[in-house]
Formats: sequence, structure tokens, C-alpha cells
Amino acid sequence: MSIEAINEQLLRAIGVGVALLDRSSLGFHFCNDTFEEWFGAQIGTNTLPDVFEGLDAEALDTSLNDSGRYTAEFKHRKKRRTMVIAVDFTAADEGDQKLVVLVCQNITRIRELESMIDSYSMMVERNTREIKREKEQVEKLLLNIMPRSVYEEFKAFGVVTPQLYDPVSVLMLDFVGFTDMVASADPSVTVTELNDIYSAFDRIGEQFGCERIKTIGDAYITVAGLPDPMPDHAKAVANTAIRFIRYLERRNTSHPHKWHCRIGLASGAVVGSVVGIQKYVYDIFGPAVNLATRLQEFSEPMQISVQDEVSVSLREEFEIDSLGERDIRGFSKQEVWRLHDSKKDMAPKQPK
Amino acid sequence: MSGQTLFEKYGGFSKVSKIVLAFYDTLLDSDEIGPFFDEVDMTKMVDHQTKFIASLLGGPAAYTDKQLHQLHRHLDIQTPHFDELKIILRNTLSEHGVEPDDVELVLQEFENRRGQIVREINVD
Repeated sequence: MSIEAINEQLLRAIGVGVALLDRSSLGFHFCNDTFEEWFGAQIGTNTLPDVFEGLDAEALDTSLNDSGRYTAEFKHRKKRRTMVIAVDFTAADEGDQKLVVLVCQNITRIRELESMIDSYSMMVERNTREIKREKEQVEKLLLNIMPRSVYEEFKAFGVVTPQLYDPVSVLMLDFVGFTDMVASADPSVTVTELNDIYSAFDRIGEQFGCERIKTIGDAYITVAGLPDPMPDHAKAVANTAIRFIRYLERRNTSHPHKWHCRIGLASGAVVGSVVGIQKYVYDIFGPAVNLATRLQEFSEPMQISVQDEVSVSLREEFEIDSLGERDIRGFSKQEVWRLHDSKKDMAPKQPK
Repeated sequence: MSGQTLFEKYGGFSKVSKIVLAFYDTLLDSDEIGPFFDEVDMTKMVDHQTKFIASLLGGPAAYTDKQLHQLHRHLDIQTPHFDELKIILRNTLSEHGVEPDDVELVLQEFENRRGQIVREINVD
């Protein structure tokens, strides 16, 4: 077999489409087996524009004149499969004959893989967005039940170490006749109203640096001095308590349901921690919490009872008067004070 | 399926992609099913098969029954077509080393959606 014959056989057999064209007519002088198989071209019968739909013959001509080369990408439909072919034209001269060498690479698989990666990454990205959204929801929920600093600790270590906060002031609020209200009115309306009121309480408390700890039905507990210590914790809960009552009084003038509350204020130490393994609850424990609850019971509707120790811090800025010494269950006999809304200048301080 | 999905079990996207391409090739060459894709653009076709295989294996795609119904409503898919696709799916999965029990699981998932895909025959 001659070298030429071997060369031709190789050329025919390779997996790249090869053709030799006449420069002016774009008719075929030669095409290998691969080219024939892809495009069904036949020497002598068809020309390049017949088999390459969408060939820009003008651009080809211009580019061959300028640089002697032209490259493009064609989509070619073979049966129902779309082939993507990268074509490369090179001008060549053989004596007087002006020729064009055409080399075609089948890049269908590459394009198919690219499409698949696109499709897959879009799915994954969408899922990632959904996961991110869910994560934010979970974070929001957890931040509702524990202070941010506690949440950060929980996230980093998976546990929360119980922490002593001393001193803090606790505000305990309880509604008068809530049980009757639930029984007499539509419970869903009552709960909706309770939700509105608690949301307002949260906003008011926030203004004075109070952290709402929890609500148990109609009882609402908020604390000043936790998680960050605060020198004016007693004043913060006093200001908050006064505004809770102002808010309720204002609300009662325009709503059919009248809400009346009792409030107790007490200072002391508390321990804050997440309780529970499956159902996390952030809660605080300590005498200040119990005392605030007891003091609340001494209040007439819409009144605020204050522990003796708290009254000392409030004396200068707030209007208070003594209720005398009282027996308090679980505590020693001690003086209890009443906090009045003097409606003096008590503009909310900026939250720290 | 608890914990690990088949998608994860069989090596995630890097392996599943090979199943997708094999499935895609076989579909196009099939004279029963192929014609449904005569007018479908390659990109769409690949996208379709990627999601199809991924969702059957519990990967990151999921179609509701309603979506499936909407996507196939305009096609005249009859019982033999669905059965043929099931055979192709069975062969493709088996050829790619999916264990027989898992193949049956996937085919059951596929079968569950028959009602959304096959056009109901109108009884005169």
C-alpha cells in the first residue's frame, strides 16, 4: 500500500469530519467517511450550502480573503438528534486550483454536558436558596425564644451554659379576669387581641432595653439587665410598666374588650438558661422572678407593685407611695410600694 | 427511603449524570419514544432528562403530580409508550450498576405517576 493510500485511509477513518472544497463553487472534491455520515454529502451532487443550513457564505468568503481562515459552530439535525459541530475552514492552493480545507469537530457531547450542568446547577441553586430561607426562618423562631447572645452561644457550641445575671429587674404582668374573658368572648378574638398587646409590649420593652423572656397564657415576663448588664435596670422596668398601663388605657377607650392588668416589679439575681433537649425554652429562674409574681398579686387592676429594694432606685424620678409591710408567701415580711404614673417628663431613652 | 436517597447512594451527580446521558441517548434512538422529542430543542431535552432522573432517585428536583400532568397534557402518550419508557429506564439503571431492589423501587416511583402522564382513552 502506498503512503498516499494509507494517508487517505486514515483520513477517511478518523472521527473528525474532513472535506476538501472548491473555493468558488463550494462543491466537494473530497469528504471522508465521517463527514458523509454526519451530513450525507455526496461528491459532485451537492455543495456546501446544501448540507450546512445557515452557512453564511459571504462571511466565509470575506474571512478566507482576509485571513485565510473561518471558524463557526453549526447545529445540524440528524434524525431527531441535534448535532453541534465546530467547523474550521482553511484556504489552500494546489497549483492553479483554489481550494478550501474543511475540518469538523463533533462537540455535541460537550454541549449536552454543558446543558446538563446548567440544569443541575439551577436545581441545586434553587434548593440552596430554599434551605437558606428555611434557615432564616429557624433563626427567627429561635431568636423569639432566646436572647441573641444566647442563640449565638447555642449555635457555636450546641449547648447553653446557665448564666447568672445579677442584678436584674423583673417585670411580671398578669391580666385581670382573663379566664372569664376567654370563656365569654370568642377565644380566637381574645387570642388575636392578646397577640396584638404582647407585640406592643415587646416594642415598648425594647425601647427601654427590656428583654421579653416568655409569656404563659395571660402572664408576660420581661427583664432589664439581661443578657447585657444595665445600671438603670430598675428604672427601665418602671418606665416599661408605666407605659404598658398607658398603652392598655389608651387601647381600652377604642376597643370593646377592656384589658386590665396587674404588674409586679422586683430586682435580684436570676439564672438564665435553655431548658429542655427536644423542645427548647429559654427561661430564667431566681427569687426576683418569684417575687415579681407575688407582688403582682398585690396590685389592684392597672396598678404596679414594687419591691422595697426597687423603690430605692425609683424614689428620685418616680412617684411612689408605701402600701406598708406585707407578708409575702415564700419571702420575709417586707414593705411594698406602689408606682404611679406621674406623667412627668419621662421620654423614652434611646435603647442602648 | 430513610436517610440516604438513591441519588446519594449511587454517587451523587457525578455518577447520575452518566445515567442521564445514557438514558437520553437510548430515548433518542428509540423509535417508540423518540418521535415525542422530534421537535424538542437539545437543551430542553437534556434539562428534562436530568430533572426526570434526579427526581426519581430523590435528587434535587421534585415535580408535583399537577406539574407532571400539565407538562405532559399536550402529548398523546399511550400505555405502550409508557411501558416502553419503563423498559428503557429499567435497562439503563441496570446497566449502570443500580441494584435490582433499587431498580424496582425507582420503577415503582415511575409507575405511581402513570396516571399523570398517560392520556386517558376516551370511551365513546
